[in-house]
This record gives sequence, structure tokens and C-alpha cells, in this order.
Amino acid sequence: MVMSDIRPVLSALLRNRTGAILVSLQVAIALAVLVNAIYIVKQRVDLIGRPTGMDVANMFTVVSSGFTQDHDRLATARNDLAWLRAQPGVVAATRTNAIPLSGGGSSTTIGSQPDTPNDKNVAINYFEVDEGGLETFGVKLAAGRNFRAEEIMPPDPNSTKAPPTAIITKSVARALFGSEDAVGKVVYDSLNRPTTIVGVIDHMHGSWVTWDKVDQVALLPVTPSFGGDNLYIVRTAPGLRDETLRKVEEYLSTSDSTRMIRGVRPLEYYRDRSYLSDRNMAIFLVSITALLAGVTALGIFALATFNVSIRTRQIGTRRAIGARRADIVRYFLVENWLVTTGGVLLGVALAFGVGYWLSTQYELPRLDLYYLLAGVLLLWALGQAAAWQPSRRAARISPSVATRTV
Amino acid sequence: MFSYHVKLALRSLRRNPGITALMVMAIALGISVCVITLTVYHGMSSNPIWWKNDRLYAITLDSWDPEEPADDERPALPPEQLTYRDAEAVTASTIPARSVRMMKTGGVLSSGESASDVLPERVQLRVTTAGFFGMFDVPFAYGGGWQAAADAGPEPVIVLSKAMNEHFFAGANSVGRTLRWNDREFRVVGVLEDWHPSPKFFDLNNGSFDDPEEAYVPFGWLPALELASTGNTNCWKPEGRESYLDFLNSECVWIQAWAELPDAATRARMQEFIDGYVNEQRKSGRFARPDNNRLTPVDQWLADNEVVRNDNRMLVALAFAFLSVCLINTVGLLLAKFLGGATVTGIRRALGASRRQIFLQLLTEAGLLAAVGATVGLVLASLGLLGLRAMYDAGSSGFRNVMYVDAWSIAMAVALAVVSALAAGLYPAWRVGRLAPAVYLKS
Repeated sequence: MVMSDIRPVLSALLRNRTGAILVSLQVAIALAVLVNAIYIVKQRVDLIGRPTGMDVANMFTVVSSGFTQDHDRLATARNDLAWLRAQPGVVAATRTNAIPLSGGGSSTTIGSQPDTPNDKNVAINYFEVDEGGLETFGVKLAAGRNFRAEEIMPPDPNSTKAPPTAIITKSVARALFGSEDAVGKVVYDSLNRPTTIVGVIDHMHGSWVTWDKVDQVALLPVTPSFGGDNLYIVRTAPGLRDETLRKVEEYLSTSDSTRMIRGVRPLEYYRDRSYLSDRNMAIFLVSITALLAGVTALGIFALATFNVSIRTRQIGTRRAIGARRADIVRYFLVENWLVTTGGVLLGVALAFGVGYWLSTQYELPRLDLYYLLAGVLLLWALGQAAAWQPSRRAARISPSVATRTV
Repeated sequence: MFSYHVKLALRSLRRNPGITALMVMAIALGISVCVITLTVYHGMSSNPIWWKNDRLYAITLDSWDPEEPADDERPALPPEQLTYRDAEAVTASTIPARSVRMMKTGGVLSSGESASDVLPERVQLRVTTAGFFGMFDVPFAYGGGWQAAADAGPEPVIVLSKAMNEHFFAGANSVGRTLRWNDREFRVVGVLEDWHPSPKFFDLNNGSFDDPEEAYVPFGWLPALELASTGNTNCWKPEGRESYLDFLNSECVWIQAWAELPDAATRARMQEFIDGYVNEQRKSGRFARPDNNRLTPVDQWLADNEVVRNDNRMLVALAFAFLSVCLINTVGLLLAKFLGGATVTGIRRALGASRRQIFLQLLTEAGLLAAVGATVGLVLASLGLLGLRAMYDAGSSGFRNVMYVDAWSIAMAVALAVVSALAAGLYPAWRVGRLAPAVYLKS
């Protein structure tokens, strides 16, 4: 666009500013909100999509709650696991103390030396499993070995003994030993009781998805003491989860009258529940932002329509003295571009302001400039699109109008 | 005069139905988004026992690790819960009108009759002292709570939620009948009405909007049955805990305590009492952190525990940004419309209408738009909240309790309508009223 195009449009705009200012303001607020909202949405989507390290899609949980005084929890667990593992379609099953990604679990701290000072201790989210744990979670062993069946400790509700061995994730290994090989190293709990690391898992998410140390996970070879309950996690062959889950619920519910079966649920249920507020926040932000863009476009459209209607005579005159239709269209599009650009300039400042406020108030990362750029381009396009139809209508005004209404 | 203004406004609005519909929709959308976010925000931040806000106090003491605060993100606050022995000591005081210590546990309820075909039910159960029901104004359908003596016994008595009474006794008055909890016989002494305080202020651990527990038993069952909490248990001290007794005497925090203190004087005496208790305990090497013994009223308790999520605050701000865009839009449309109708205004002015009358006339028109917009907005808001409830279906059920249009939401919509009418109408009405009538008569 050339300067000679802009100058007359601008001077006409400045003479009748109110409408233009109002639309610019809308554009500015829309840009500030849009850019920041989409940036937050992107963070949420990234958060939800992080790899968990587990075969989440093919896992499900079962809880057996014994409630009679003659209920034998350990014998029940032995029978149940033997039955579960014998089922076709079941890849692996384990007893455990908590459900990964569910928001419930246990944590403790360990150190790389006895009497590690508090600030050198590493927080771990631990899962008490048996030799089937590794395969049930579907996590990859990067080094070392799995637990052996004879290693699994009996229930110990008051933690009187530390487990002799443990498997940790790479991120725990890194926090404890840096780049050294962790397998074979000894870690200590707060009572200075030693545990030997026998394996390192590539990556696994623990119980609390909002925790910044969600990948600091350890597996311990311990039989959980979970009230009167046995919690099982089962992993099936791909695609057989729902079918197996139904079969398992049906059989276990009737196999033993001293307990009840509950919580038979895909692991995805717990994952979705943990991320529910993030998912919903993303949905709200996208919906409100879309509405906002729509209302802004409507405002631009209304202003352009109004301008066309009050300038009918002027347009007719221009057409009569030689302006082509394309010139008229261009006039209105340039006018719209100027108005949008005014708004965009203000909006960029506002977007930074809002972004800064959000980052200090809610500890969000600073606004990414690419989002701002994309927002500016989007609003320019939105403005031109909204002004398109009124401009076309202006172009259709006949030159004779100019003479008729004088 | 007012009805004449309304009549003229209606006629004017009917003249351009397209623009009128646009303006109503813009205001309605803006107001509905605001009402939705404000309703949720209000529901989350509201105090479900506001009438006792100046009487009920959560008791917290800072018994945590001398080297670091209980919560890094809120270092000024003591742990949310107490150790077993501290809870016992502070609720033994006779200063409060009532006090309560409690925690949440799980278990299976089953029918008391051996031949019953009612299925057992796995429930969350609150182990609490006798003061609980009176202190928190818990409504009973049948019977009532238990006497303080039942706590010490402990007596095998149980209070059921309305839902559990439906399940086991088909909703009949079950007071005096028996029920088994973890295969142990309990006698029903009370059945609650529907009771869903939201947020669940008396125990904000694990889900501030969870439903209250399904059953209540005397606190004495905790040591007697060596119960573990299904809420949070947080420990900081490396100490060998070889038995349940060791656990009861440990520095782990897992018990909630509240006191009902009717006036400032009792509150001051209670503060003195807990300070004195902590100083006494210091002699045995406990409480190495600086004094931080708190009696926190309910509204402060909700704020301290950050019941309202940051996301909800952000959404309210976003909703108002949206409303402002909608209103600016309406200002533009109204201005265009008023200026377009300036000839009529000019004639009215020439015929003797004062500027003030023109101004009021045009403001009435804006007010009418806002009123219709707010009404449509309320309908949209209730539809929106319906959608929200569906979106939260999979989550903790309690959160959905706050997602209803109530009197407060309607009041908000009315207030927003007034604000909208003024914000959208003032400038256009003033601007048009100022025009010299002659210019418009000429054209």
C-alpha cells in the first residue's frame, strides 16, 4: 500500500474518530486476551500430553476390600493374582499401594549417604510392587534388573525395616548420583537404613501430576499394607482392556464372599480425572476466546457497514468522477487496516501487560513472542475479512446516486 | 414520562430489528459469561457456615521440622493438621463452648441382619467427637449425635448420611437398628438430612469440594481399632515407629481440630491456652519453630487453604474483558443508531423536548437493551452451567454443587445489566443530546 492511499483515508478517519476508536479498543482487548489465553491453552495441552512412560491405554485397576473378620487379605491376594495372571489377554498384574496418575500416593525422601542433610535429600513417590510391577506399568528398564520373587517383603505397616532393594527412575538417579551409574549404589532413608538400587527405569510418572517432581518415582519390593484392601493393577494386550476388565470384575465379584470388589476402572479414568481441570480450563479459554474474536469481528463489520451507509453520496461522487470499483474496495480495506492496526499497537502493549501480570501473579512463564506475532496476523486477517462484505457493497453503489440525492 | 420513554424506546428498537438483535446478543453473551464465572467463583469462595464465622476456629500449631516450613509455598502457615497427642491436648480444654477432633477413614458398611440382601458398601467415614454435630449445625432427619461419654468408651454407635440410610434402611427411621462396619456391630443413633457444605470447610484435605463422609463414629474407635487415615498423613521427623502406639505419639500430623469460641474473651483465653500448651511442650524438646499457634475463623481458613483456584480468578478476569468488548461493541452500534436517528431527535428538540429529556429517552433505550440482554444472558448462563456440570461429570462430584444459577447469580446479572446500560448508553446519549437540532432539521 502506498502512502498516497493512506493519507486521505487517515484524514477522513481522524475527522470522525469515535467509531474507529471504539473498534480499535475492541481489537486491542481482543488481541491481549487472545494471545495470553492461547498461550495458556498451549501450556495445558503440553502438560496433559506429556509422556507418562507407562502403557496407560492398556491398564486397569481393581480393589478388593475385605470386610469380614475371617477375611485373609494375603491369601486372597495370592489367589487373585494367580488367577489374573493366568487369564488370556493379561500381560501382567501386580499388587500395589497406589495408582499412578490418580492423585493419591505415598512419598518419602532418600539420600545418597547416611545423615544426608535435609536439603540434599531427594523426594520420591514410591510404589510397593511385586516382581510383576515393572511389566504391569509397562516401563522400560534402562539399566540393572527387575525384582526377584523371593525379594518381596511381607507387609510392614509401620515401616520397621527398609526394603533391601529398589528400582528408581532416571530422574531420581540423576538427582542422587548425577551422571554416575546408579545400579549397585546404596541409598539411605531418614533413619539411615540402607537400600541397594538394583534397576533404573527410563521414565515413569507417579501419583501427582501437578507435582514438579512427578517423574521422581521408585518401585519397592514390598507387599502393601492398605487397610483391609488389596489394590491390583492389570495390564492387557493392546485392545483387550475393556473385555478383560469386564471378565475380571465378573469373576472376582463372586469368587469370595468375604470381600467386595470395587474401583474396576481403566487407568485412563484416573489420568483424565487428574487432568480434568486443565482440560476444562483449555476448553473455557478456547470458547471464550472464540466468542471474543466473533464479537470483535462483528464490531468491525458494524463499523464498516455504518461508514458505507453514511458515505453513500461520497462514494457515488467518487465513482462518478472516475474511481473504479477496486478503488472503493481498497479505500474501505485500507481504512479498516488502519483502525485494526491502531488497535493492534495498543493491543501489543496490553498483551505484554497482561502477560507480565499473569507471570507475576500466577507464576506462569512469560509470554512467547511468536504467539504475539500470530495474534497480530490473525487480527489483521479478521479485520480484513470482516470489512470485506461492506466494502464490496460500497463498490456496488452506482455513480448515479451522487446526482440523485443532491 | 417514564412509560412514554419506554414506548418511544420500544418503537425505536423495533425500527432496526437487526441492530437491536445484535446489541441484545452482545450484552447477553457478555453478561452470561460473567455470570457463569462469577457463580462458580462465588460458589467456591463462599463460606458454607457464614452465620458462625465469628465462632468457629480451626486450631493449628506449628509442630513441624525446625529446619523447614510445612509447606514451602506457604511458609508462614503451620501444618493444616495436628499430631494425635496435640489434638487431644488442645481439645481437652474446657474454654471453648464446644471442640472437636477428627479424621477421615474408610471401611465397609454391611447390613446388620445376616440374611439381608442389601449389598455391602465401601464408604468414607468420619471418626469424630460428640461436639461435631452441634458445632457445625449438622441437620438430622432422625435421632441425633452421641453423648461425650460415647467417645471415651468407645460405644458402638454410628450416625448415617441420608444416602446410606436410603441404602440400608430404605429411608426409614433406623435409629436403634444395627449395622456392621468392618464386620463389627454398630447401633444407629442418628440419620442426617441431605448435607453438602461446599466447600467442605471442616476438612479441606483431598478435595475441597468432596461430599462429606457417609457415616460418623465416636473418636475413641481410632485408638481402639488402630485406624489409619484415608486423608493426609504427613511426617517430617525421622523416628522409629514400630507400633501403632509409636505412631500415635509421633510427630506425624493427621488429625483436624476445631473450637467454638462464642466471644472475643474466650477466644483470647483459648489463644493463651494453646500458647501455654506449646511452651510447656517445648520443655520436652518439641516445637522448635517460632510460635505460630493459630485460631483461624472459617473464611480465613478457606483463604489460607487456597480453596479458590487461580484458574477461576483468571476466568473471572477474562469474563470481564469479554464483557467490556461486548459493551464497547454496543456503544459503537448505539452511537451509529442514535446518529442515524438524529433527524427524529432534531424534530423532537425543535418541538420543545429538552436536552435532558432526549438524554433520558436515549438512556431508557440503552436500559431496555441491557434488561433484555441480561434476561437472555441469564438463560444462556444456566445453559452454560449445565454444560459445565457435564464437563465435570467425571471429576470429584462436589465441584458440581457450585455450578447452579442461584439468587446471587441473578443479583449479579441485574447489577451487570445496570452497569451495561450506563456503560453502553451514557456516551451515545450525551453525544446525540448535544447535537444542534437545526443541522438535522435541514437535511
